[in-house]
Amino acid sequence: MNPVLPLALALATAVAAGGRLLLWQQSGPQDSGSLLTLLLGESRRAFADQMFLKADGYYHMGNYPSVFDLALPDGKTHMAKESEGHDQHGHSQPLPHHRDWLEAFGHHFRPTGHRHLDGIRDGREILPWLRLSAELDPHRVDSYTVAAYWLRERLNRVPDAEAFLREGLRANPDSYEILFELGRLYAENNRDVPRARAVLELAINKWIHREAAKPAPDTPSYRLILGQLATLEEQAGNLDRALAHYTRLKHFSPQPDAVQKRIDEVLTKMARPK
Amino acid sequence: MNTVWSLAKVVVLEMVRRKDFYVLFILTVLLTGTAGSVNLFNDRSIVRYLKEICLLLIWLSGLIIAITCTARQIPAEREHRTIFPLLAKPVTRGQFLLGKFLGCWVATGMALVLFYLLFGLVSGSRDHQWPVLNYLQAAWLHWMMLGIVIAFTLLGSIVFAAPSSNGTISFACAAGMLLLGRHLNKVALSVAEPLQSLLYTAYFILPHLELFDVRELIIHDAGLIRWDMVTLATLYAAAYGAFFLFGAWLAFRRRPLN
Amino acid sequence: MDATLSIEKLRVEYRSRDLGEATKVAVDGLSLHVGQGEVFGFLGPNGAGKTSTMNVLLGFVPPASGTAHIFGVDVIEPIARQRIGYLPEQTYYYKFLTAEELLRFYAGIFRIPKAETERRIDAVLKLVELDHARKRQIKTYSKGMQQRAGLAQALINNPDLLILDEPTSGLDPIGRMKVREIIQRLKGEGKTVFFSSHELGEVETVCDRVAILHQGQLKTEGRVSDLVREHSANLEQIFLKLIGYSPQP
Repeated sequence: MNPVLPLALALATAVAAGGRLLLWQQSGPQDSGSLLTLLLGESRRAFADQMFLKADGYYHMGNYPSVFDLALPDGKTHMAKESEGHDQHGHSQPLPHHRDWLEAFGHHFRPTGHRHLDGIRDGREILPWLRLSAELDPHRVDSYTVAAYWLRERLNRVPDAEAFLREGLRANPDSYEILFELGRLYAENNRDVPRARAVLELAINKWIHREAAKPAPDTPSYRLILGQLATLEEQAGNLDRALAHYTRLKHFSPQPDAVQKRIDEVLTKMARPK
Repeated sequence: MNTVWSLAKVVVLEMVRRKDFYVLFILTVLLTGTAGSVNLFNDRSIVRYLKEICLLLIWLSGLIIAITCTARQIPAEREHRTIFPLLAKPVTRGQFLLGKFLGCWVATGMALVLFYLLFGLVSGSRDHQWPVLNYLQAAWLHWMMLGIVIAFTLLGSIVFAAPSSNGTISFACAAGMLLLGRHLNKVALSVAEPLQSLLYTAYFILPHLELFDVRELIIHDAGLIRWDMVTLATLYAAAYGAFFLFGAWLAFRRRPLN
Repeated sequence: MDATLSIEKLRVEYRSRDLGEATKVAVDGLSLHVGQGEVFGFLGPNGAGKTSTMNVLLGFVPPASGTAHIFGVDVIEPIARQRIGYLPEQTYYYKFLTAEELLRFYAGIFRIPKAETERRIDAVLKLVELDHARKRQIKTYSKGMQQRAGLAQALINNPDLLILDEPTSGLDPIGRMKVREIIQRLKGEGKTVFFSSHELGEVETVCDRVAILHQGQLKTEGRVSDLVREHSANLEQIFLKLIGYSPQP
């Protein structure tokens, strides 16, 4: 390779990027994704998806099925499900059947077996990819919520989680998902009931604003927010409010009996003399 | 063997004196350093992403060094006419090809040693672990894989006249095999005959370069690979390397040099 | 006199890759014999078949028919090239090597022992007057220096037969004179030299015998003095006459 070539390429890239950066700078204030938009265009979203998948691959210690192997029916990664607290995929599933000798031989050279990252030391390793995913596509809310979950729940780094969620909120002010995660943080980690309430109620408003009119709204998220808010109010002793939220939740829940049980518990508490 | 080694030494010397390797090495150091200096949630103990980036750069550099170094060998000998005084000496065409192969392979191996030393340093400085044997296995398998790549690029340099087209085709083939090689059988199962048989045949015939890519094992501290498997992989690489070299010799042995 | 180099009814063809284009005959029925210690000039205009003949002698191109032997060994055997030195026309040697390294590399191919290699490197670099630049990379050499480096590599194995393709091509008058002197010295040492050239004056000066080739066929062969006497003309006039060149009135 002629050494002049990479230099020329670097120079050309620098000049081209410099020119465009100048135009970008002149066009006024931008959000954090604009620079990457400028450089990568719309392909940054695809890169962001790849980075998110990479994080999921790390969560599985490098053993992650490719698009050729299998795709989860709901299209969500295992890691995202974990953060939502309902990871249902089989941890004890048997090793895949080897179709031929090459496949069997190849299994000696890459991670096999279904394992998850665990513990403080390993857990943090997914964070760079989520950070990069968020940098590449600031509107991909999963990146913020999953990273925040790991930061606060597994690594006990609540301030970092809050800062990252706030960063996500700046880029996605209408995101009920980020607001929910932020509310969870205030409720479970900071024990700041007024802030948690305010944020979760805002999340409900955002959800109603964005999803309610849709033919197929994102009800699982709505249920999570309502559940979180109801629990918060119940624990704070605001039983009237808790009851109202549980009643609303029952309407959307696939297991109304379970919610009714909670309603009954609240009613029992309310019936007790003060 | 003396003749082959003499030819190889010139190729090694060429790589040492050209700037390609240094450019790639410095680029790897700079990019790894930049990636390492990024503040990720104020946590300096996050290391696997750094290992991943460093290894990716090493793999890219390894492929670039191996392919560009090999692709230019025979065309440059022809263009500068040095092939004439060389083959006017008691050198068979087979020795000529073997010498070129050995030179490119040894030169690439030397580059890999430096790259993996850098990787060891980067990883060890953050991780405070020194799994030398794991790194040795990774570097060895990487080198074996590049042996196959060098052999087929050498064959390509006889088939295609221009080093640029050979380099591009070789790079595309190597990248294609690395990315898709292990999925060809699954793709085959999802298509109808006769494409299924065709894909399955390709799956068994093409060299599976991805077998030698043990980066995930290194990144996720997955432990040593069984040594008998490493030996088998080495034999697998040797068989494919020999196959491509034989092909190169068949194509070159009676080709007029004028 | 033993034939160091012998060619019998040699025919060289180049097949065209283009459809419908006929096979080109570069050399047709050439027979030549060069004795030990002779300086043999191989003459002809461009495209006469000189380089094609040399390519066969060096094993670069297989003959369509006929045979060629060097020291009695068929040229298709690599061992036939153990005792020859070859200087191709306009070669750009490995520019990242020094002259010393270049010669050490070629000596390695001949399996010359280390001490002997160093001794020969000293000798040939002195002979071609590159001793002062031996540690400089070839990329810093002038064209004449590169040609002399080429001559040095051709001499590294102390060959008994030297095949030189246009050895003075592209050199300035001083460079040409130096090459001529080297050929004379080699002749003095009893080496056989087979060389092609356009420089008829040079050929007349250094050659014992010459052969003139035109359109792949041998037009004449003999001692320079015999040809001059036979045709009552100088070598240039003989050459022009044999290739059918007639000057415009």
